[in-house]
Amino acid sequence: MTRYLLKRLFWMVPLLIGISLISFFIMHLAPGDITTTEAGFNPKASEESRQKLRKLYHLDEPILVQYGYWLKRMATLDFGTSFASHQRPVFWERRDAQGNVQKGLIQEALPVTLLINVLSLVLIFVVALPLGVIAALHQNGPPDRIITLFVFVGFAIPGFWLALMLMYWLGVVHGWLPISGLHSLDHDKLGGLAQLVDTARHLVLPVFISALGGLAGISLFVKNGMLDVLRQDYITTARAKGLPEKTVVYRHALRNALLPLITLLGLSIPGLIGGSVIAESLFAIPGMGKLFYDAVLMRDFPVIMGILTIGAVLTLIGNLLADIAYAWADPRVRRGVVH
Amino acid sequence: MKRAFANPLARLGLALIASILLLALLAPVIAPYDPDAINVKSILLPPSAEHWMGTDGLGRDVFSRMLFGARISLLVGFVAVGIATVIGVVLGAFAGFYRGWVDIIIMRLVDVMLSIPTFFLILAVIAFLDPSIWNIMVVIGLTSWMGVARLVRAEFLSLREREFVLSAQTLGASEVRLIFRHLLPNSLTPIIVSFVLGVASAVLLESGLSFLGLGVQPPQASWGNILTDGKEYIQFAWWLSFFPGLAILLTVLGYNLLGEGLRDALDPRKHP
Repeated sequence: MTRYLLKRLFWMVPLLIGISLISFFIMHLAPGDITTTEAGFNPKASEESRQKLRKLYHLDEPILVQYGYWLKRMATLDFGTSFASHQRPVFWERRDAQGNVQKGLIQEALPVTLLINVLSLVLIFVVALPLGVIAALHQNGPPDRIITLFVFVGFAIPGFWLALMLMYWLGVVHGWLPISGLHSLDHDKLGGLAQLVDTARHLVLPVFISALGGLAGISLFVKNGMLDVLRQDYITTARAKGLPEKTVVYRHALRNALLPLITLLGLSIPGLIGGSVIAESLFAIPGMGKLFYDAVLMRDFPVIMGILTIGAVLTLIGNLLADIAYAWADPRVRRGVVH
Repeated sequence: MKRAFANPLARLGLALIASILLLALLAPVIAPYDPDAINVKSILLPPSAEHWMGTDGLGRDVFSRMLFGARISLLVGFVAVGIATVIGVVLGAFAGFYRGWVDIIIMRLVDVMLSIPTFFLILAVIAFLDPSIWNIMVVIGLTSWMGVARLVRAEFLSLREREFVLSAQTLGASEVRLIFRHLLPNSLTPIIVSFVLGVASAVLLESGLSFLGLGVQPPQASWGNILTDGKEYIQFAWWLSFFPGLAILLTVLGYNLLGEGLRDALDPRKHP
């Protein structure tokens, strides 16, 4: 296991270098340099803020030196301060000149996005697992057909459109659910339990919308996995031993069908983080996605570069955790029998 | 191919795609009004016999705008996936054919690209460039070639070991000839399937970007930005956001159904 872990960690180094190169490349995409682009978009960009950019990314130095500085920023997770008037640090809290603690923008936004993503993953598993198993057990029967239809529509429906329609029907027309932010205006005056209920009601629509694509994908994945496993010899053996069908399905088949799901979970992280942009900006939820979207609109480059890098690093960590979990669950992997 | 069209879902997909393509191609003939004609006397009219999908906040006919928007949305989808397919096929072919270091470097690049959340990557690039229809196509293309590259590489790795490649090699075929005349034609099936499925996700991606105001820029109509207009008026004019969403849904559904149908029909394991 240790050998496997070391090998796995070693492979992250070229990936991190690759991420640094791509993000550096994006910084230099703009025609001219980013200082002139910003000025083009934002006529109010003062000489002062241009100087700030030059200094931040060392744009007057040779390109290799610039890259060196960028690597150093990435390694120390220091992405500078936002260009917005509040001038808060991009990543983590820091004391300003007066000794007040300024919270980092990502520091504040990341837990919100993680909460929504964890809740959507829970929803995905609670709904998609039984759907996939039912579809596999009744292959080509009516339940399978209904679930397949649901899967195709789930894949094809634009999440933001459904969100808009639900906001309108549930929020505006019927007033059943709040449609914006994480709390009501009177949140602070509510008691503990009422506060929890208030936040939960605000989370219903965003969590449902972010879970939508995953619901369809995982149902299909579980169904195909189950169909595959049910054809295996050891399932025939289990049945031949006279085990009840329930034991065969849930103890022998399902457990093995679920194994690849661990990897899929790791692979779905970038999609979940990236997908948060639309849901969060639509529902005005102060997470990573909205932070990123606002930064793109205002050309707040330190925030853009910071989130891009942190998002990629989070994905790598997620994949690493998924691989470790897989190796832990499947002895063949950690002994190097299969990959 | 025959098997693909025996599948009723794939047939439904093909019918959807064909009718939407036809509507887009014939847009100037079918459209009852000029899609950009502003008419202050007919602002926010609900769907009627005169305006099938109502009118928008500037009095423009939504049905006409939808038809012309279809051209833009489909164009972005096709060009973006075309770019992605070319990049993916070339890199995947190199990795699978030459193996060794070439393979390792290309596959690491794939891993790096996959680890950066695509939507963030696209938005970051757009923040540095101008959001225009050409930039959108290129950016979507440059960020969605990884799946095709992996497919083609896997296909090449297994095809390389087959006898027909050996026999071509013995006859003195050059590497270029081997790649383009022997290996590539034999890997066409998964490439076509991934192209069809890719169009679906590119249409979805473009509509998302335009919805955020970072895709196709008004006054040019695309389904995504008709929907954005509708967001403002959702309380008084549901039709403005309902129809573009439905159009995106049907288009993506069509490509997905056809893609999956083709995949099933062409998968030798399912038809021994």
